[in-house]
Amino acid sequence: MDTEARGATAAGPRAAARRWTAATRALFGEVPAFGWLLGALAAVLAEYFVGRPLARALGIGRIPLLFGVDVALRDPWLLPGTVAYMLLVYALPAAAVARLSVTVARGITERLLRLPVGLSVLVHLGLLYAGLHLWAGINDYRLLVTRLALIAIMVTISLNVVNGYMGEFSCSHPGFMALGAYVSSIITVLFFVHDSVLGPPLLPTAVGPFLFPLALIAGGAAAAVGSLAVALPSFRTRGDYLAIISLAFMFIVKSTIENVQLIGGSRGFMNQPDWAGLPTVFVWAVLCVAVTNNFVRSTLGKALNAVRDDETAAAHMTVNTRRTKMVAFVFAAFWAGVAGGLFAHVMRYVNPGTFGVQKLAEVLAMLYFGGLNSVIGSIVGAVGFTLFSEALRPLQIYKWIIIPVLLILVMIYRPTGLIAFREFDITRLVKPREKPGKVEHVAAAD
Amino acid sequence: MTFFLQQVVNALQWGSFYALIALGYSMVYSVLMLFNFAHGDIFMVGAYMGFFVATGLVTLGAAGVLALPSWLILALTILMAMFLTSLVGMLVERVGYRPLRGAPRASAALTGLMIGIILQTGNLALLGARRQTFPGLIDVTSYKVAGVIVSNKALIIITLSILLTLALHQFVRRTKWGMAMRAMAYDFAVVPLMGVSINTIALLTFGLGSALAAVAGIFFGMAYPVLEPYMGLLVGWKAFVAAILGGRGSVLGAGLAGFLLGFIEIFVAAVFPSTLRDVIAYSIILVILTFRPYGFFGEPYSAQLRL
Amino acid sequence: MSLLRIDNMTHYFGGLRAVHDYSLRIGPGQIRGLIGPNGAGKTTIFNLITGIYRPTSGTIVFDGQNIVGLQPHQVAAMGIGRTFQNMRLWRHMTVLDHVKLARYARLTYGLMGAFFGTPRRQREEAETEELAYRLLELVGVARFAGQVVTGLPYGAQRRVELARALAMEPKVLLLDEPTAGMNPEEMLQMVQIIRRVHKDLGMAIFLIEHRMRVVMDLCQVIQTLVFGQVIAEGTPDEIRNNPQVIDAYLGKEVVT
Repeated sequence: MDTEARGATAAGPRAAARRWTAATRALFGEVPAFGWLLGALAAVLAEYFVGRPLARALGIGRIPLLFGVDVALRDPWLLPGTVAYMLLVYALPAAAVARLSVTVARGITERLLRLPVGLSVLVHLGLLYAGLHLWAGINDYRLLVTRLALIAIMVTISLNVVNGYMGEFSCSHPGFMALGAYVSSIITVLFFVHDSVLGPPLLPTAVGPFLFPLALIAGGAAAAVGSLAVALPSFRTRGDYLAIISLAFMFIVKSTIENVQLIGGSRGFMNQPDWAGLPTVFVWAVLCVAVTNNFVRSTLGKALNAVRDDETAAAHMTVNTRRTKMVAFVFAAFWAGVAGGLFAHVMRYVNPGTFGVQKLAEVLAMLYFGGLNSVIGSIVGAVGFTLFSEALRPLQIYKWIIIPVLLILVMIYRPTGLIAFREFDITRLVKPREKPGKVEHVAAAD
Repeated sequence: MTFFLQQVVNALQWGSFYALIALGYSMVYSVLMLFNFAHGDIFMVGAYMGFFVATGLVTLGAAGVLALPSWLILALTILMAMFLTSLVGMLVERVGYRPLRGAPRASAALTGLMIGIILQTGNLALLGARRQTFPGLIDVTSYKVAGVIVSNKALIIITLSILLTLALHQFVRRTKWGMAMRAMAYDFAVVPLMGVSINTIALLTFGLGSALAAVAGIFFGMAYPVLEPYMGLLVGWKAFVAAILGGRGSVLGAGLAGFLLGFIEIFVAAVFPSTLRDVIAYSIILVILTFRPYGFFGEPYSAQLRL
Repeated sequence: MSLLRIDNMTHYFGGLRAVHDYSLRIGPGQIRGLIGPNGAGKTTIFNLITGIYRPTSGTIVFDGQNIVGLQPHQVAAMGIGRTFQNMRLWRHMTVLDHVKLARYARLTYGLMGAFFGTPRRQREEAETEELAYRLLELVGVARFAGQVVTGLPYGAQRRVELARALAMEPKVLLLDEPTAGMNPEEMLQMVQIIRRVHKDLGMAIFLIEHRMRVVMDLCQVIQTLVFGQVIAEGTPDEIRNNPQVIDAYLGKEVVT
């Protein structure tokens, strides 16, 4: 095809897009993260108070659960109403509040910056949680999807540490999740629940929620120990054979659990106490993101990249490559285990079939969709994929044609994912924005 | 002893499926350095292709339109299913993998996974969740040799599988195309110098591999006559592991590893509860790979799944 | 007292003798050169010193300690820095991260610091960054600090690699053909940079080179290696006039 001709035809829309971007920039360029959070809160509050009547007035009956995609897919005639709802309830309040609060938001952000950065981050997170809480509070399904999305973030980020930052193709993540899910479930059920197989609780149920983090950590630790089965061979072999070893590990975990009748075998294991509410999952997810982001931006974490790009050179620059690999695997497995534990307590039922090839395809899809070597990419990938795959539910099995096709397209046009190789600087995020037009100073790494 | 020999026969038959599928995995892997994760589902497609051709021919025969002897039906089924499935395989290469040539290998692996899901779902969407029963193509007769029962079906499956493995081995060693494939396994840049295009070789590799998977699918249908869209998952992943176990660039290695896996599974199931089969089979694989990280017949090489 | 002392080192690859009876003495702050035709085993000697291979026989003593059998990262951490013939940069990493990473063994904040961002980590990372900028300025590529190395011009990549090796604060710096693939102008700049680095930081340098001018310019003592064996050792003038060297190696290239 003639590239020049293509360029010429694209110039019109492209110029228009550039103008559009410039206009948006002029309007919203100064809005700090704080302002956007306020906007999001406003949108969620709008839905909370007027969502139901508005939905009825627009003829869509009830509040669209996942940004209207679900409604529109179920009945295409409701599309206009859904779009109107989205604009009125989400876009308009969010944009208006974000724009109008610029001065206030900047003032608050600047004042917050005088305090330690951690405090400022906490305030932002509090605001984010408030919005999330209200949004998810509309009904049980949203609450479930929100928690699953948060768990997906943990899984994807931890997988990114090994597959993205360190560049191995590890397939064992579902196995790590399974270990975490089962170990933490066994602990909570054994100690705090009256179970037909594991017997009466060993400890008073009232203390359970407080000891729940310990159960999750134990699950993570079990996964971390299991990861040694993959980490130790990684000293000797890389790439393809390590991929097979990790795959074999995943199958071993799955079929071992299927064979242990005490925990239900292939029928699964249930009765987990309902302790993984939104606040709990949110806190763990934030912790996971923060710790991982800290890690990969430190020089010790950069050693993962060096091992990936050239192991020999890394060793010659004093990097202890074995330690690096070990840390990466154990770290990733720990978080996958914690995520698995949360997953088990959100679903309050697990079975080994969950942690098979399908799960593997799912976590790999989230990772590669979002982008390798990028914490923010993993967040986008995990949330995007979870919401998308839930929203497409009305399509039934055709969903499983659309999603793979989309992913193949992503792979063809952006082989490392949408937001790959980007650093996630939280301190920059909570700072007030410069006026548009000024040159942005790119903060040097760490 | 009789028990043992009987298990050997079972293992040979069971290993045949793995071997035939592993050949396809191994070829694609050796030549294109690609994990073709869709190959297990190509096996499923092959089984269905065989099912359609066979059912069609049998129905024609029953209607009195075209009465063929059963051996001819079997032969036609195999040949036509091979042809049709190789078309599907080449389509997968053309649409899914060719645009990714030169892209990170992990992306291609993920694409393979996705193509597999598309094939499964496509089957489910077209045919529904109902399981299909593979028609009995030949009258089964069993022979008893020294207390060991061998059916003519098992004999056909085992013999043809071994013959196909050897034939492919010879093809790769002796013919110009086979040489080009082997050359490509060492160095992509060399192939154009030989007057062959990389794309042609890729298509050939996928076509051949898929044809063999179709044979495996038909044999599987003959032995265990229930077909369902997810059958590729069960056998495919293990065949994949067998292919890697054989070692990169070794046709014979992949075939042998396939049979070995059959032996491991059959004998594990003979001694332990059959539910432990997967645990033990995969554990053995894990141990083998830990001590022989490059498979049985593969050479150490420095390639990795690069970003 | 030698800083790096190699005695009677021999190495076989399978049945092939790659290095035979090789000995070397380098004192603090000295510059030694190693020349020889392609395939003579020069890079193999580097790989033997840095622990990629383990010599079949012979001893390598660095700073009074036997380093045979140590892992490459341990050898490096003891103070032997090196560059590579083909650079071996990390293709997705920024220039600054290259230099910072070579401080890996000097960082003491540990995993807790890496995970939770302790004050100690902030301090050490800041110090490391400052040092990295200083080194990048020394070799003249500080303006590229935030860029990913793969986008840099070739000469700049070479300098980044040098800065990376310097960040380890090596006592001995092994340079494997630092001017390979450079045009004459870039080559002269590189020689100057090596001089400056040597003057400012004062480490010993052991240099493999192909180009006679570079070795003759920089080194006080030069060894000539042919088929894994040293056939001559001496000052640049002695080497230049050694009939054996001229015969084996220089004969063809003395004009350049």
